[in-house]
Amino acid sequence: MAGFSEADTVHPIHPREVADKSVKGSLSKAIRMALDVESEAVRRNTRTFNEGRYRATAAIEDYEQLKDRARAIKEAAIDNLPELLTKLEAAVTSRGGHFHLARDAADACHYIKKVCLQCQARLVVKAKSMTTEEIRLNGVLEQAGIEVVETDLAEFILQVSGEQPSHIVAPAIHRSRERISRLFKDAFETDRPLDTGEDLTRFARDYLREKFLTADIGISGANVIAADTGTLMLVESEGNIRMVTQAPPVHIAVAGVEKVVPRREDLAPFIELLGPSGTGQPLTSYTSVIAPPLDYPSFSFGGPPAQDRQFHLVLIDNGRMSMREDPVFREALYCIRCGACLNVCANFQAVGGHAFGGETYSGGIGGSWEAGTGTLQKARFAELCTGCSRCIPQCPVRIDIPWLNTVLKSRLDQAGGGVPLQKQLFGNFHLLAGWGSRLAPFAGWVWGLHLSRLVMEKLAGVDRRPDLPSFAARTLTRQYRQWRKKRAPQVQPAGRETRRRAALLFADVYTNYTHPQRGMATVRVLERLGVQVELSKVIAEGRASLSQGMITRAGQRAGNIAAYLEDHIDQGRDIVVVEPSVLALFRHDYRHLLKDPAVFEKLKAHSYDPMEYLQTVIAEDDLKLEHVFDVDKSNGKRVFFHGHCQQKTIDAVGPTVDLLRRLGFDVSTSSAECCGMAGSFGYKQEYHELSMSVGEDLFDQIRQAETPGTDRIILASGISCCEQIRAGTGRPVLHPMELLAGIML
Amino acid sequence: MIISRELLTNSDNHSDGVSDIKSLVQQFVVAAGLAGATVERVARSHESLKDAVQRVLSGENKALLAEPDDLPPELWDPLRSLEQVVDHPTDSQLRSAMVGITDAFAGVARTGSVCVALTGSLGGAVSLFPRRHVAVLEARSIVARPRDVFTAGQLENRGLERSFVFITGPSVTADMGELVRGVHGPDHLHIIILEG
Repeated sequence: MAGFSEADTVHPIHPREVADKSVKGSLSKAIRMALDVESEAVRRNTRTFNEGRYRATAAIEDYEQLKDRARAIKEAAIDNLPELLTKLEAAVTSRGGHFHLARDAADACHYIKKVCLQCQARLVVKAKSMTTEEIRLNGVLEQAGIEVVETDLAEFILQVSGEQPSHIVAPAIHRSRERISRLFKDAFETDRPLDTGEDLTRFARDYLREKFLTADIGISGANVIAADTGTLMLVESEGNIRMVTQAPPVHIAVAGVEKVVPRREDLAPFIELLGPSGTGQPLTSYTSVIAPPLDYPSFSFGGPPAQDRQFHLVLIDNGRMSMREDPVFREALYCIRCGACLNVCANFQAVGGHAFGGETYSGGIGGSWEAGTGTLQKARFAELCTGCSRCIPQCPVRIDIPWLNTVLKSRLDQAGGGVPLQKQLFGNFHLLAGWGSRLAPFAGWVWGLHLSRLVMEKLAGVDRRPDLPSFAARTLTRQYRQWRKKRAPQVQPAGRETRRRAALLFADVYTNYTHPQRGMATVRVLERLGVQVELSKVIAEGRASLSQGMITRAGQRAGNIAAYLEDHIDQGRDIVVVEPSVLALFRHDYRHLLKDPAVFEKLKAHSYDPMEYLQTVIAEDDLKLEHVFDVDKSNGKRVFFHGHCQQKTIDAVGPTVDLLRRLGFDVSTSSAECCGMAGSFGYKQEYHELSMSVGEDLFDQIRQAETPGTDRIILASGISCCEQIRAGTGRPVLHPMELLAGIML
Repeated sequence: MIISRELLTNSDNHSDGVSDIKSLVQQFVVAAGLAGATVERVARSHESLKDAVQRVLSGENKALLAEPDDLPPELWDPLRSLEQVVDHPTDSQLRSAMVGITDAFAGVARTGSVCVALTGSLGGAVSLFPRRHVAVLEARSIVARPRDVFTAGQLENRGLERSFVFITGPSVTADMGELVRGVHGPDHLHIIILEG
């Protein structure tokens, strides 16, 4: 990040050249370009939105119910889409408007061009519309000799720079003020100052005001459309949408068919969710709720004479009806384009939509849209979704975006003739790890050899730079067996009233083979609290396969695990899982992999993070912390805790922070959404640099939490977070259970 | 933010009456302020409205007056006699005036928004083209949340049919690399609430 001056960089690669990710090599070139030039501005802007969203959504008292409502409306709307379209057509035409349902981009462009020519339009003003980007409307109109002016300031910048949008809500998010200033100075001959944001805005305002007043036609999108009345909802902050829809005599609204909802009152939840989810404002400056054509004459400002208004609604299929038939991608049609999944995404924050995006759509949800409206290959950037899952709780219509991306990856591999070696390697981590620990330390030696790293990089795309996980010679299973030899499992003392908890500690492959000490610490602390602990068999649970898009294999693994765990649950055991990414499988991802939803619900209800479990046991048995832990050792002790991304999503981070604070620790927490390693992502040659760049945010926070002389113990729940922090800061990292095991009385 | 949230929770118990309107007005004032608008509360009479508008217009030489969509003529008509006020503006006056005055048929307490109808009364244009927008809102037209504008039985159903715009603070952008007020719409929104 540091070390380059963005303002001076003229990069050899123009974003447009690497927009189409179906072109081989464009993704890695785009990542390079974005890290070099755009990262700083994207980070600043997405983070402002991200923090704003947390604040604004927390202020909605019925946020969760509102999301349910929005989801239900979209589900019903997509179910009844053909019928709604008929209704909408009737509503629009009965008001004197025109309605056109375009089957594809060419059809839509042809219709709009025809309307423009019929109106003898010379000047068209446009509001921001991703749909018109998708159908490449501007080029078609310009070829017909019509001047097209983008009036949203971000789109105006892109029109000058020739770039594609880098964000679905804020399309010029990749440009700093300095880079906009330089662009405008080159593009416009003017005596006016073009340095500050104020200068640039004033200049654009005056330039565009003239265009609004003399335009023949205004073209807008629509955020949501009510079928009963033909009412459009349009959300903005600048006022250009109001201008585009009110100033010229002709208004054409262009939108995807998925924007239709049944009734006018259905607009309300979207009005309340869009601003908070998108930019973090309770409501953006202007939300227009209009049923065009407006029933008063247009104006005459020196352009076309005042006349009765004309309105055309152009709805576009362009692949959407096929998405509707697809059991997985149907869900993408619920998207209301708020951008929350972009702003919360750690990888997106680092590179933006020129790398993590295609020609029109970007971010986590963007892959489904590029594939749905274009070709599967255009969605190749979905590989940048690490499945960290931070977008899931942010989505106002509850789309499981990581799942869509997992399916995309899987289909891309199928279409490409099979799963590449790199993915096979990471997706079968348990086999590798099994052999690795059997052969340790020999394996560790081979692992570390320069030559073996080169071979792995060449053959399997494993980056040669990061330290690979080292395999423990004494696995958790072995250590546990030895521990058990000395101590019989605790038996419930006779006469005790409260039910003593019994737990199966799940020996996930990561904890078992690479960080067994985390598992042993958990065993010791739980037993100290009187929990009867048993260790599970070591069975691959599917996390590694799933993160590589190997769905079938992950499904087989989920089936095996579920049968095994269900048995234990039926015998009265709770499932405790040290590695959060595995816990998240049981509590979230298995819903897609297990055939029987009841089995999933059972697994979900009975699986715990160790710290969460501790909290439960302490509360149930009314234990006094000072009877179990030496609080003199914890009181005032400084720690820094980084919660694992997936652990945050399944609401399992709170108990850790809470328990540490109750023990008197001085806890400072990370606000990084994800460490950037994300399982195997950071080991991959093409993503290693991106991963470290993402991690830099977390490393920075650690440095800042430790003002000179105030070292903190660094805690992380996830194994890959721990590896990443160690690589980035050189500091040792503990699991919170290791810390607690160390202060037990 | 925190203040407005606390106020919100209090207001959600919908009991009728004056105290209810008062608490909605209070929330509205806080939220509108956070959104960047200025708010003034005056008694519901033609004298106090006229005085308030006159104060806002001091130093301005021309202000456009939209026709009211919902405010009664006895409140609105006296404004026509103010020196700077132009009612029934021509298109060229629309293009050049610095101030526009409209009524608002609803206010939203949570967000501090005013709802201006888009009709032949020209509220849409008068609230958009000039640099300053003055919106006149009746206290009793303030609802708790945006959804209430669409709810049958609220606002005498005024929100159910018409085209309108929720206006929340001035027009803003962050697209030019920093937050700037006043883009294509007004850079200043002043709201006059009529109480009592």
